[in-house]
Amino acid sequence: MTPILADSAAPRSRTQRQSFLKQIMSMPAGAILLVFVTLQIVCIAGALLYPDDFRYLSPQNLTILMKAIPVLGCLALGAGVLMIAGEFDLSIGSVYTFTAILMASLVGAGVSAFIAAPLGILTGVMIGLLNGHITLRFGLPSFIVTLGGLLFWRGAVLLYNGAVQVRFDPEPIFTSLFSGTLFGINAAFIWIILFVVGFHFLLHRHRFGNHVFATGGNRVAAEAIGINTNRVKLIAFAIAGGMAAVAGIIATARVGSVQPGQGAGLELQAIAACVIGGLSLRGGRGSIVGVFLGVMLIHTITDVLLLLRAPGFYLDMFIATLIVLAAIFNHLIERRGLA
Amino acid sequence: MSTPNLLELHNISKSFGALTALRNLSFHISEGEVVGLLGDNGAGKSTTVNLISGIHKPTEGYLSVDGKKTAFTCRSDSADAGIETIYQHTALVDSLSITRNIFMGRELTDRFGFLRQAEMRDIAMEVLQNAVHISGIDSPDTLVGNLSGGQKQAVAIARAVYFKKRILLLDEPTSALSVRETEALLNQVLKLKAENVSSVLVTHNIYHAYQVCDRFVIMSHGTKVFDVDKADTTINQLTEYVVLT
Repeated sequence: MTPILADSAAPRSRTQRQSFLKQIMSMPAGAILLVFVTLQIVCIAGALLYPDDFRYLSPQNLTILMKAIPVLGCLALGAGVLMIAGEFDLSIGSVYTFTAILMASLVGAGVSAFIAAPLGILTGVMIGLLNGHITLRFGLPSFIVTLGGLLFWRGAVLLYNGAVQVRFDPEPIFTSLFSGTLFGINAAFIWIILFVVGFHFLLHRHRFGNHVFATGGNRVAAEAIGINTNRVKLIAFAIAGGMAAVAGIIATARVGSVQPGQGAGLELQAIAACVIGGLSLRGGRGSIVGVFLGVMLIHTITDVLLLLRAPGFYLDMFIATLIVLAAIFNHLIERRGLA
Repeated sequence: MSTPNLLELHNISKSFGALTALRNLSFHISEGEVVGLLGDNGAGKSTTVNLISGIHKPTEGYLSVDGKKTAFTCRSDSADAGIETIYQHTALVDSLSITRNIFMGRELTDRFGFLRQAEMRDIAMEVLQNAVHISGIDSPDTLVGNLSGGQKQAVAIARAVYFKKRILLLDEPTSALSVRETEALLNQVLKLKAENVSSVLVTHNIYHAYQVCDRFVIMSHGTKVFDVDKADTTINQLTEYVVLT
């Protein structure tokens, strides 16, 4: 019998002796980090060179950025966990509006915001569970089920409330909790940072996260080893719905009212942020940091184009290009990974 | 009677509606024995594997482990009994690291469910270096998707070794491997046998089976047609049974 292959016969690993650049690129979310840092350097340099024409570093602009990021951030974190588990939720934009209107009208009817807000989150979780249950029970593509959810809950908003805006007048302490400032930093931005840290630990350092990656990466293998993949997916659906409601609370506390049409298109922006952040559309790949960088990148680019007074349609075209480029890049990485 | 057999199938039949996949099948696996389960396509090998690993339940007959009658209702039942099934393509998650694959579903955690990453990594490193020899893997952080077919199988075997399995059920283990990788895998099976781990090689390839197996069970049309020790047979006789029955 021939001896077991000796280590000396091993082909030299492709991962040895990488340059610093390659090391960053091979990190999860490394490529997006590189793009993000480069963009920030260019923006900051531009703002320092032309402080009057390009007000990127002005306090007003930074405040706008910090207020804008958390809403899409919450939606994208929930959608991201679900995407890594291998499913989609297109209904989060509608759920975001529905739960916000529910919460605002409860507060309008005299309920404390500290009760109405958890009720809104609970509603979001329940809708997520319903999406998940229908998807898994009948073995349907979640894309179709939640497309139904998108239309259903958008209609439900109009049925429940009509096409009028709802004022949101909570206790002042509730408002300051979500849109006040702490050491000059917007409260909503602190919330999203806390969520990012929490989700990072849940997904990358906790048993549940490992099961999410296993479920999305190879469902048959995960099941064979004894992971209850249906339960993992169901929890991920619930997280997506719950985070949509959280986004609704943050947005509503900031503006002080809810528009029935405000969530339209947000679900696609959230998925876009996930794709830009390195998540695979097939599931099983990605990182929370990547998702958050994706959100920040979308908002930074939007902000820069606004500061440059570019017409609105440039925003969409720019984001669109970014999504496709990110998808191509991720696909190349995946192919390399499966070689 | 001497010590009971590690695993025994007693008169097992399995029907899927009108189709009878297995008919009155009985055989056993002893401790530290390598058994070759041979047969042509459609002989019932896959159904037998699924039955032993708990995916299918027998229509008639029963399984016994250590002489005790048992009924596997799912994969984890057979895993608890010490049986690890290694399928060709479905065992691992490509997008996760070797460490995470080895501990998938059996993660070491603190009491809040957070992963003890450093500890798992050390164990994975240890298992990769000592229990199974895999060439070309320099780190347990490597993504499984970057490994070759043989390396993947070695990781799956490493997982079984670490969790102290008693029987490895290898379903067509060599069909996607290079010649060198096949040699390494068959050596691995012998090495485990020396540590008293039994293996069942389910395969088409009589030559690979003949290299390492102590005994051969040949199936045809859902039942056993031949059960022979290696000392009492030749590769020609085995081939005849597979082809002609």
